[in-house]
Parts: sequence; C-alpha cells; structure tokens
Amino acid sequence: MRPIFRVARATFHEAWRRRFLNGILIFAILIIGSSWAFAYLQPGAELQMVIDIGLGSIRFFGMLIAVFLGTRLVPDEIELRTIHTILAKPVSRAQFLFGKYLGGVGTLAANMLLMGAAFYVVFAIKAPQFLAEKPEDAMIVAAMYSNIAKAILLTFFEVFLILGIAVVAATLFSWVLSVIFTFVFYFVGHMSDFFQQLSDPERGASKIAQIVMGALYRILPHFEIFDIREAILMGTYTPWSVMFKTIGEGVAYLVVVLLIGYLVFNEREV
Amino acid sequence: MLLFVSNVRRLGHTLHTDGRCWIIGLAIETEKLSKIYTHDANGQPVGLIDLSLVVEEGQIFGLLGPNGSGKTTTLKLLLGLIFPTAGRGQVFGQPLGSNTYKQRIGFLPEGPYFYEHLNGVELLQFYGSLFGMGGSALSARIEELLKLVGMWDRRFIRVRDYSRGMRQRIGVAQALINDPDLLFLDELTSGLDPIGVVDMHHLLTDLRDMGKTLFVCSHLLKDMEPLCDRVIILNRGKECRTGTVDELLRVADQVRLVLSNWSDELKTRLATSAADCEVADKQLICHFQDQSQALAAATIAVEAGAVIEDLGARRRTLEEVFIEAVGGEEPCDQSSE
Ligand SMILES: Nc1ncnc2c1ncn2[C@@H]1O[C@H](COP(=O)(O)OP(=O)(O)OP(=O)(O)O)[C@@H](O)[C@H]1O
Ligand SMILES: [Mg+2]
Repeated sequence: MRPIFRVARATFHEAWRRRFLNGILIFAILIIGSSWAFAYLQPGAELQMVIDIGLGSIRFFGMLIAVFLGTRLVPDEIELRTIHTILAKPVSRAQFLFGKYLGGVGTLAANMLLMGAAFYVVFAIKAPQFLAEKPEDAMIVAAMYSNIAKAILLTFFEVFLILGIAVVAATLFSWVLSVIFTFVFYFVGHMSDFFQQLSDPERGASKIAQIVMGALYRILPHFEIFDIREAILMGTYTPWSVMFKTIGEGVAYLVVVLLIGYLVFNEREV
Repeated sequence: MLLFVSNVRRLGHTLHTDGRCWIIGLAIETEKLSKIYTHDANGQPVGLIDLSLVVEEGQIFGLLGPNGSGKTTTLKLLLGLIFPTAGRGQVFGQPLGSNTYKQRIGFLPEGPYFYEHLNGVELLQFYGSLFGMGGSALSARIEELLKLVGMWDRRFIRVRDYSRGMRQRIGVAQALINDPDLLFLDELTSGLDPIGVVDMHHLLTDLRDMGKTLFVCSHLLKDMEPLCDRVIILNRGKECRTGTVDELLRVADQVRLVLSNWSDELKTRLATSAADCEVADKQLICHFQDQSQALAAATIAVEAGAVIEDLGARRRTLEEVFIEAVGGEEPCDQSSE
C-alpha cells in the first residue's frame, strides 16, 4: 500500500504546477463569484440563480479538470520517462496506476473544495438578503444549506468517476482520443434516461432497439443521478438513502473502470 | 554447494531459499531472451534476439555494442519495463518484473529523467520513500550519496535547472539509495566531465569490492576494458562474443614485434616466419607463434638496419575484438576465432 501513497503524494504536488489547470480553477472561482452580479438579472429568483450558476460551475469545471488532469497523469510519466526509475523500484504497475489516480483524486478534491468554498461564501451572503425580502421561504432556504453540501458531495463522486475514466482511457488511447472519449462518455452518460426511453417497448421500440439501447443504458454510467440541483431549488430534502445509493452506484462503476485500467496497464510497455 | 556457501560468506550475504532451490550465486540469468519490435527492410528482426547470459554475483558484467544493438532493450526487459516476445529470464531467481528483486536492485537509465520540480534532496527522499525508508536514516543516506556524487553543494537546485552531467550524478545517487546488491547502469559516464568519469570508474570498482554486482551497458570500449570481468558484445540484437575480458583479448600466445625504419626486402623476409605482418603508422608489425621465432626475426631486422620499437606478448584491445566482431556484413563475424 505504501508505494501507492508515495506516488499519490508526488502526483498531488506535481499537479499544482500545471498552469492550465490552475487557469481553470481561477476562472471557475471568478464565475462563481460573479454569480453575485448575474443574480440581479432575475429579480425574485436571485438565490436560485446563485445556486444554479455556483453548483453548475463546480460541476462543469470539476469535470474539465478531471478530464485534462486524468488524461495526462500516466502519459506524462511515460513520455517524460520518469516512470522508468519508479517502476524499477519496488512499485508494481497496479500500485503506480492507483497511486496516480489517488493523487489525481486529491488534486481534484482540493480544487473542488476551493470552488465549493467560494460558492458557499456567495451563498451565505446572498441567503440572508433573500430571506429579508421573502421571509416566507425560510424553510426552503434552511433546506438549501444542507442540500448544497449534499449536492457538492455527489459532485465529488461524479468527478472522481470521470477522473477514473480519463486515467484509464489514457492508458488505452492517444491523448486526443482519450480526451474525446471521456467527454463523449460524460455527455452520453447524461443521456442514459434517453436510452432507457428508446429501449422501452411501450414507446414503440423495435426488438433490436430494445436490446441495443437497453444494453447502452446498462453499460453507461448514469451521470444525471448525481445532479440534485432541481431538488434543491424546489426546497425538497434529498434523503441519505438516495445519497448512499447514488454514491454506491458511482463507486461500483469506478471500481470496474479501475479494474479495466489495471488489466490494461499491467500489459502495457513503458 | 560448498562453493556457493563460501562465496556467500565472502560477500557477506545470508543464505535464503525460494522454497525450491538455492537462489544465491546467480544475479541474472536469461535463456533465449528476445524482444522483436519489428523487422527491417531486409526482413531482419529489430530488437533483441535470443540472448542467453549468466551474471554471477560480485561481477562487473559489461553489455557492449554499437548504437541500436539492443543494450537498453535488454535492460528494460530485465527490469520488467517491457516484456519479452520469446524466452525467459530471472533476476535473483525471481521472474522478470517481480517486486521482490526490485528491493535489491538499482537502476540508472540512459540520459535519466526525473520530476523536474524537485530538488536533489526531495528527489532522493521520494525514491527512498518507495523503499519504505524515512527519518534520519534516510536523511543520512541522502547526505552520504549527494556527497559521493558531488552534488551536496548543489542539493537545493531543482532538476529543471540541472546540467546534463548533474542529471547523471543524481541518477547515480538514486540508483544507490537502497544500497542495492545489483546495479543496472546504462551509459554510466555519458555527459560527465573527465573527473566525473574517473570518479565513476572508481565507484564501480569500489562497489564491486563491496560485493555488489554491476551490469553495465556501454559503447565506450576503452573505458570498459579495464573494468569489466565479463562482457557480451551485441550487434543488431544478436550476441557476437562473450567471455571474460582476458579470454577475449588474449591471442593464443603470440608474440608481437614492432619495427620502424624497415625496408620492403626485410618485410618479405620476415613474412616467411611470421604468422602475419602488417603496416600501420609507418611501422611494421609482425606476429609470431613463439618466442624463438620472434627473437630470430628481431635479430635479422636489427642486422638489416631496422629499429625495434616494441617486442612482447600480443594482446588485442577490446576495440579490435569489437570491430572484428561487428564490422562485417553479418551481425556477427565469427570467422577469425
Ligand atoms: N519502442 C521501440 N519500438 C521499436 N523499435 C525500437 C524500440 N526501442 C528500441 N527499438 C529498436 O531496437 C533496437 C535496439 O535499441 P536499443 O535502444 O536497445 O539500443 P542500444 O544498444 O541501447 O543503443 P544506444 O547505444 O544508442 O543506446 C534499435 O534498432 C531501435 O531502433
Ligand atoms: Mg541504449
């Protein structure tokens, strides 16, 4: 286990030197901060606007960082040949791969926490102003505080899953291809409901469509379940049972993805 | 077995088994190890072809050959960085790539690459931590190694700002961090200044005297000749010559006579008794099968007015052996054995 953490730590330190990723983070924080200003565009729904922009940005920029960090983690080591001296030490390929992933998770988590903190600051300032105008919405706003934390927590697991897919894709394909693959996976994963509908015989799906679309629905990750923004805006609580089910599904998917990565990387020449 | 045990005592190792057989004595063993990347325009395989070698503990073993002959490929195979297309190999009795033997080895890659944002101390800390080293023991080891490779004064410079030779030096330090029993060194002295080269050669022999095994790849034959105990000469992926350096350099008891101020008439006379005669640098060099023939020839030469420049046992240089082996059309010219 030890080498995994050593590799992860080195990866974490190294990742902060990637200017491009720092750029994304700064840009994200600027957008989240400026949701403040945008909010005036929708009088009466200012808080909703802040939440929409804030959580949406965390999710979107988290995903971007996951893709651009994840697809570089292992290829950089191979192309810059830093991997040679590391694998010549008592570090197995599996330990190396999981160490890189874990270092990416740490980096991503830190980035997300910074974005989340920026969002919470904006929200904590906006919410009392909103309440002063609409005291009758006190219940909804109270629910928002905990729901936002839950939403961010789900987003963590969502981007960790994307990171896993990116890391593994990069062991299989060239860099450009792995970036495209991960994006496609992400967007198509958002449409998994759509595939379910297409495979529904009651909606007139043919036999072939039932099989193909049904298979797609089962194979693809269901990224939309990680998005609970709507529930927050409605002011409904997302129960922990749903949280656990969603996180469980994400982790199970991640395990399968990393297992595939392990099998591929174990045979990979460096 | 007894021989092994005494050998082990001498090297200060402890005996251990892998459950089936004794695994001491041999550091590296390969059997028809091959890595064929592609085939060239003539249909010849490119990479490494059927390499069988045995490296005993405590040796300096030289893997020599021209550029592209398969030296680095061999090292990568032995370290499990790439996988053989055929054949097999073991390091310390373990299959290639096993984590068990990696505890006991060090590796200096060719033109080594490291994390650019770390300085020398941080880099060695990282590599040491991969072995589970830490605390004051690791700090002491790092200081010792940085001094050994002449990087102590420059220990806070980041790798990004290193010169080529500094990379090489830190590369040697990281290879030694775990006090390995077996070292894989790819072009140890490349990029080093003359003093650095001499230092590294001393380091090699010091390490051997400490009982370590050294597996060195190089195309610098003059450097390797006095250092290596055994060598293999590779060419275009194939093994051409193998043996102890002495074996390769000795030419069956011949005597060599070098003359200057010679005449063509003398040359024809000597050629009758000599094994061979050749002209190089205006000097006439003749080789004789035994001493009395050489002595007689020397007398004749002196009487004919020639000057003896040198008279002694014939020894080739590794360079000559090498050129003879790899110079021809075929990957390995075995004709003149
Ligand atoms: N990844 C690869 N793919 C295809 N061919 C390769 C690869 N790596 C090496 N080769 C080829 O294999 C042969 C041996 O290369 P290798 O690097 O082992 O040579 P070398 O003896 O270390 O040479 P040098 O003295 O220049 O370091 C060369 O012809 C090289 O072009
Ligand atoms: Mg080489």
